[in-house]
Amino acid sequence: MKRQSVNAAAADAEPAAQPSFLPASEPALRSLTLCLAGVPNAGKTALMNGLTGGSFHTANYPGATVTLSRGKSRTELGPPATIVDLPGVHSTAATSPEETLSCEVIEGRHPSITPDALIIVVDATQLERHLKFASYVARQGKPFVIALTMIDLLAQSGQSINTTKLAAALGVAVVAVDGRTGWGVEELMNELRRTVSNPFNDHNVLATLDDDPVAAYREIGRLLEQSEARRRGRALQLAAETFTSRLDRIVLHRWLGFPIFFLILGTLFASIFWAAQPFMHLIDWGFKGLGQLVLEVLPEGIVSRFIAEGVLGGVGAVAVFFPQIIILFFLMTLLEDSGYLSRGAALVDKPLSYLGLHGRSFVPMLSGYACAIPAVLAARTIPSRRERLLTIWILPLMSCSARLPVYALLLAALLPGAAGKAGLALATIYVASLLTGALTAGLISRFLMPRKSNSMLAMELPLYRKPLLAPTLRITWSRASAYLRKAGTPIIVISTILWLLSNFGFGARQADLAEREHPPLIASSDLDHSFAGQVGQAMEPVLQPMGVDWRVGVGLISAFAAREVFVSTMAIVFHVADDEDSRQQGLLENMRAATFTGSDRRVFTASSMIGLIVFFFISLQCLSTVAVVRSETGSWRFAVLQLLFYSGLGYALASATVQILRLFGVQ
Amino acid sequence: MSLLDAARNQFYRIKQLEGPADECRRLLDLGLTPGEEMAVVQSVPFGDPLVVVVRGMRLALRRREAAWIRVE
Repeated sequence: MKRQSVNAAAADAEPAAQPSFLPASEPALRSLTLCLAGVPNAGKTALMNGLTGGSFHTANYPGATVTLSRGKSRTELGPPATIVDLPGVHSTAATSPEETLSCEVIEGRHPSITPDALIIVVDATQLERHLKFASYVARQGKPFVIALTMIDLLAQSGQSINTTKLAAALGVAVVAVDGRTGWGVEELMNELRRTVSNPFNDHNVLATLDDDPVAAYREIGRLLEQSEARRRGRALQLAAETFTSRLDRIVLHRWLGFPIFFLILGTLFASIFWAAQPFMHLIDWGFKGLGQLVLEVLPEGIVSRFIAEGVLGGVGAVAVFFPQIIILFFLMTLLEDSGYLSRGAALVDKPLSYLGLHGRSFVPMLSGYACAIPAVLAARTIPSRRERLLTIWILPLMSCSARLPVYALLLAALLPGAAGKAGLALATIYVASLLTGALTAGLISRFLMPRKSNSMLAMELPLYRKPLLAPTLRITWSRASAYLRKAGTPIIVISTILWLLSNFGFGARQADLAEREHPPLIASSDLDHSFAGQVGQAMEPVLQPMGVDWRVGVGLISAFAAREVFVSTMAIVFHVADDEDSRQQGLLENMRAATFTGSDRRVFTASSMIGLIVFFFISLQCLSTVAVVRSETGSWRFAVLQLLFYSGLGYALASATVQILRLFGVQ
Repeated sequence: MSLLDAARNQFYRIKQLEGPADECRRLLDLGLTPGEEMAVVQSVPFGDPLVVVVRGMRLALRRREAAWIRVE
């Protein structure tokens, strides 16, 4: 009776595929819904790729705060089936929202995800543990097939498995697959269809296993032994001479461990920043050209400016970071697939747990240097809620790449002609952001969120394996496009709204602008009277302690769309002729010359610029991050508190910096 | 004795787990059940966590977690 929405909708969508002489409920011929379930690291994502050919997307289900991957099976695999990738389950006594959702679906308690059959993904190198999970699924009574993964690693772990004997011993269908190459996937689909049309199986031994782990492991061990489904060499179990243990002795070595760790991280950073540069310039150039084209082709007026600056500007602000995101995701996927990522987490577990974080916090913190949004998403893997929230809390402090253009501008203005000094200052800012994050986490963990109990690590270190290029690229693409949808939409919406706010205002200015023959591209008189200008001017007393005027205030507000928007807003408010080459130079000179209205006091002094750097260092100027934090934590309170905390703290520290510098005679 | 006192690369039989019930249940779920053999193969630079081998899988266990495991 619960079998409704998803299935029903899918069946309705394809009435033509259904011969009329069959009853409507004949499952084999309507579109099936299949769910992938398993212990984390079982190889679900790879199998998802193999089944769908990489064309899956994240989907929000009603009533679930968790987003799931969903896709259609490849056409070569017969009638299309909907495949849903359920989050990995560590323990059936589920605690995290992801695990709870998976358990609800498996136990048939979920209102909208009602699979026809489950694919239990079982790591062949760790049969007992994964079969124990399979026995939990079997007890829930839904039809399922076991997909045996990591076959290529069996030899390395000193084992061999006979799938026929295994299937006979368990009384369920077992298919060996490699999701990365698509090997065995077709057989898996055939087996699934067979299972769905004939789900009753009296010999399902798995379902009879005990829930108690000790008893379950004993019975599974006995089954494997009696059926001779698996052979394993005791000598190899010693794990002294496998490739993985040899590599671990180097990678986790007392003296070499950290140098290797920092070398890998250094390479990752270098690639994110330098390898992405040419692509970022290309995209930036492309969008600017496109905007220019729109202005030239369309009749002049507010509509063409809206498209060129508001829409294309907004899309460009997102797209310009895409190369960095792709490189980050690609390298992270490589590190994850090779098995190194969990070694990195083990290395830093001790120092991070001292700060109230978890070894697994390291991946989100690393991603945070590219962008806080994928970082917040990466925090999902942290098992305890307290540590997950604490990690998300400090992520906005990691110096994300959107801050880079802002720092570049301010440092160029602060240290004219001293590129070396500016570079050193930038490096200091990056290291300082890590230390500030550590300090914040340590303080909060000590005083505000004292831990009630210690969390656990007990983390699996998967066998090292050579990543394959094609599947890595597919996973990179699906992650990157998921990011683009998740982060892109709010950035575009917010920057469009901000454009409207800074171009429209009360009063008749728009009308007399339209009457002029050739209205200037950006008229600052327009900004004066726009909503944003009005807000900026109203804010001026608040900006006083920071030592800047209302025009900078407009920049600070616009930066909530994305931090780097500050630079383009500065260009607008300090009237820069839109001449490509001299753009930055012109902006710097204009900034240097700018004075407070009605006085000759300079706006950009050493103290006010250092103050601005401090402000950008701390402040959470990214509403997209707020939106993602909201959806990941399921709490508006947490997200808004974080926004107010960092923006307030940034303001207070920036003001204090300016005032103290002035006290010491720095203007 | 506790797993912390175990010699490196030497297999021991798990006797029992003595620790907080919930957390020991997780270790049991992972396959660290009494009667199973396990070995500490190395530690990471800070000496914590330890790398152990059990049921053909490698696990990073904090010293705190390893202390609950009685072996012989």
